Amino acid sequence: MEYVVSILKKFPLTVFSLVILTMPFWFPWIGGYGGLATKIMIWALFALGFDILLGFTGYLSFGHAIFFGVSAYATGLMFKHFSDEIIPAMIVAVVVGTLASVIIGYLTLKKSGIYFSILTLAFGEMLHSSALSTFGSFTGGENGLTLPDMIPSMLGIEMRGEIMFYMTALVLILGFYIARRIGDSPFGLILKAIKSNQERLEYTGIDVQKYKLGAFVISAVFASVAGSLMVVYEPYVGTEYLRWSTSGNLVLMSVMGGVGTLIGPIIGAAFMLYFENVLSVPLGEEWLLVLGLIFMAIVIFLPGGFTDGFKLIYKKLFGNKADGEEK
Amino acid sequence: MSKESTSDVMLDCYEVSKNFGGLQALNDVNLKVKHNTIHSLIGPNGAGKSTLLNVITGMITPTHGSVVFDDKPMLDLSPHEINQLGLAKVFQTPAIFPEMTLIKNVCIPALAARDGAFKLNMFQKAGMKSIESFAEETLEEVGLKDSVHKEARFLSRGDKRRLELAICLAHRPKMLLLDEPTAGMARHETENTILLLRKIADRGMTMVIVEHDMNVVFALSETISVLAQGTIIAEGTPDEVKGNPKVIEAYLGEEQE
Amino acid sequence: MNYLFLQVLTGLQISALYMLIALGLTLIFGTLGVVNFAHGALFMLGAYFAVVISDAFGFNVALVAVPILLFVVGIILERGLIRFFYERSHTDQILVTFGLAIVIGEVLKTIYGANNLPFAKPSWGSGIVKLHEYLPFLEGFVAYPKWRLILVVVSFSTVAALFLLLQFTRFGLIVRAGMRDSQMLAFLGVNITRRFTIVFGIGAVIAAIAGLFGGPITQVEPELGMKLLIPSFLVVVVGGMGSLPGAVLASLLFGMALSFTAKYAEIQQIIIYLLAVVILLVRPRGLMGKKGLME
Repeated sequence: MEYVVSILKKFPLTVFSLVILTMPFWFPWIGGYGGLATKIMIWALFALGFDILLGFTGYLSFGHAIFFGVSAYATGLMFKHFSDEIIPAMIVAVVVGTLASVIIGYLTLKKSGIYFSILTLAFGEMLHSSALSTFGSFTGGENGLTLPDMIPSMLGIEMRGEIMFYMTALVLILGFYIARRIGDSPFGLILKAIKSNQERLEYTGIDVQKYKLGAFVISAVFASVAGSLMVVYEPYVGTEYLRWSTSGNLVLMSVMGGVGTLIGPIIGAAFMLYFENVLSVPLGEEWLLVLGLIFMAIVIFLPGGFTDGFKLIYKKLFGNKADGEEK
Repeated sequence: MSKESTSDVMLDCYEVSKNFGGLQALNDVNLKVKHNTIHSLIGPNGAGKSTLLNVITGMITPTHGSVVFDDKPMLDLSPHEINQLGLAKVFQTPAIFPEMTLIKNVCIPALAARDGAFKLNMFQKAGMKSIESFAEETLEEVGLKDSVHKEARFLSRGDKRRLELAICLAHRPKMLLLDEPTAGMARHETENTILLLRKIADRGMTMVIVEHDMNVVFALSETISVLAQGTIIAEGTPDEVKGNPKVIEAYLGEEQE
Repeated sequence: MNYLFLQVLTGLQISALYMLIALGLTLIFGTLGVVNFAHGALFMLGAYFAVVISDAFGFNVALVAVPILLFVVGIILERGLIRFFYERSHTDQILVTFGLAIVIGEVLKTIYGANNLPFAKPSWGSGIVKLHEYLPFLEGFVAYPKWRLILVVVSFSTVAALFLLLQFTRFGLIVRAGMRDSQMLAFLGVNITRRFTIVFGIGAVIAAIAGLFGGPITQVEPELGMKLLIPSFLVVVVGGMGSLPGAVLASLLFGMALSFTAKYAEIQQIIIYLLAVVILLVRPRGLMGKKGLME
């Protein structure tokens, strides 16, 4: 067991990649299926980026569906009006999502995190209602943007099944690598200091506002890539992509997995989608109630989420050797 | 302002007034702090010391007046800009990054000094080595060498103050503002702090100290300004201030009336 | 003239509901410092209780029982959950109340299903009021649903009652002082803890009133809480976090904006958000927010 942990610590990226890439082989053993694995990759990417904001700076956004949804719509519109090639569609989508994050970040990132949580939630609803009605002619209104019979492709290769899975898996692995690098960088150090003591940081010569905006935009880039991939995976844009519940689900999975750890939100995303799609069969309609109770229990008793739980269990079983571990 | 004084004066508060909705907290305060001196600010409670300190660090904007630091006007600057000009503040209750290790606490100001107020160095690990060794030196200087990898929240109160001092020093400021640096300290800790501040000052640091403990004030200061009811009522060397009847009156006045 | 009058009346009616929900939110935030994401769920709980009780025993029983029930629920929540979060970060407070909102919503969904529950108005509240008979400046025939007028009256009476309570009682004095500086009061030896509990209970009672009188004009379904919580949050922020007069003013503003844009659905859908953006850009602390707070 100690040996396993030491490998985890030494080669986290390698272990992570192996687990992800072998998923099509082991996932069916626990009741999963191919499409769900792809969806987990996409949500994991979304949650991973979110952790750069919530986990590092402590700013809780309730509007990250904005970037996921806006980018999804942009991708859908590109497919509809331009071509089924995913590269131009994804580039446009990420640019649009990023621009949206610069504007919204500028408007909402104040000194108080409360203000930020409420305003991002409100912005999300603003875009959701405008997609439903104000821009209904572009977005398809309440029906969502349907793309009948369309199969997105990359350089002529159709993006579906296993190819789609491996593409999203590679994007996730790349995202994990980038996020870890950011976490270890001077930039990441300052982001973590925002969560720790924002005022001290201001009196230490740091332009906190710009760092916060930086974190917000980076997390939005991850969200945009995820939103775009979602439409590549399933060529349809639902209005719920922009809805508060999408932002809410993101918060749920991130917190359950353990914020600030990068791997935590990924585990959280996997857990939540697995819960929703596999465990919901025996649980029936009440699965979300059970999930809500699990979430509350975690917030109350285990604010560090699953990752903290693993650490505690490991400590209990194998003494205090896991002290100060940073994964 | 004459030519010679500009070279000599590091911080110049000119006719600073602050009005809090009818309450005159500061009334035309003039304060000049010279290079390489320790300048103390004393006065009874509610005299306006904290307000003046907050004006200098940019936390509050005065009703009128000006603050010039190192020949640069400071009003309308945000706290981080003031800090980048070389003015660091040590808070009354230690302001540190509690969940981080000491070394990381000190790396942050070191980065701010090297990279400025904002830099998007997301992937650089390079250059961290020199920042870290500099941070370690700074921690050694304040006597925290043994706990560099400890999390800051586990420090004693006195050590937290030392850490905060290290955070301020790591930015290599031109001037330190200290708000009651020995408040709540035991006697021996206070003495250690006096020695430490003396050592730092001797290397050529200008300091402004707000302090209640007169032992600290008289042990350290070259100049003392006495603030009462929002105005400076006396200024001079410790000996001059000690015998000044106005000062005695300011401290005792309220009780005699 | 008729048009203008009716638009203003509709605006008042729309703001009445926002006002009630925002009032509870801002009262709890201003006093306890907690942003209650479950407040919409409390309102929804009020509406569900109202439907169930008035189906069984009539609306008049519900009128008494629902506020009492919600007061008890509020007390239990504060004692059993919220108070453990006073010392934790705002983020944790938001997270736990958000979780609570989900759980309450899902419990209601499990029991009553995802569909709309029909909410029958009491006989004394149904029908229309012929306004032209009372207001001579109106021309011709002008009628308005009685229930909506009742909602406006109830809402403004609740606001007035809350103001009187805070302004002229010792309890109110302490709560207002607590809104300014809770630590100071603790130093003075005032037992704030118990008053915090009661404030939370009062917040829940206001939510109950909103549920009782708002339920019949909204739909009573498990999504209702969040649907009304979001605009109510905006009301609180635009009014100035923790400011009761601000919340009243902002809800009136939103109500009027929604009423006067009713002809243009595309604009109406986003008008309050646009208003909020503009106001907060010009005045980040909100219409009547305290300086320094939230900026």
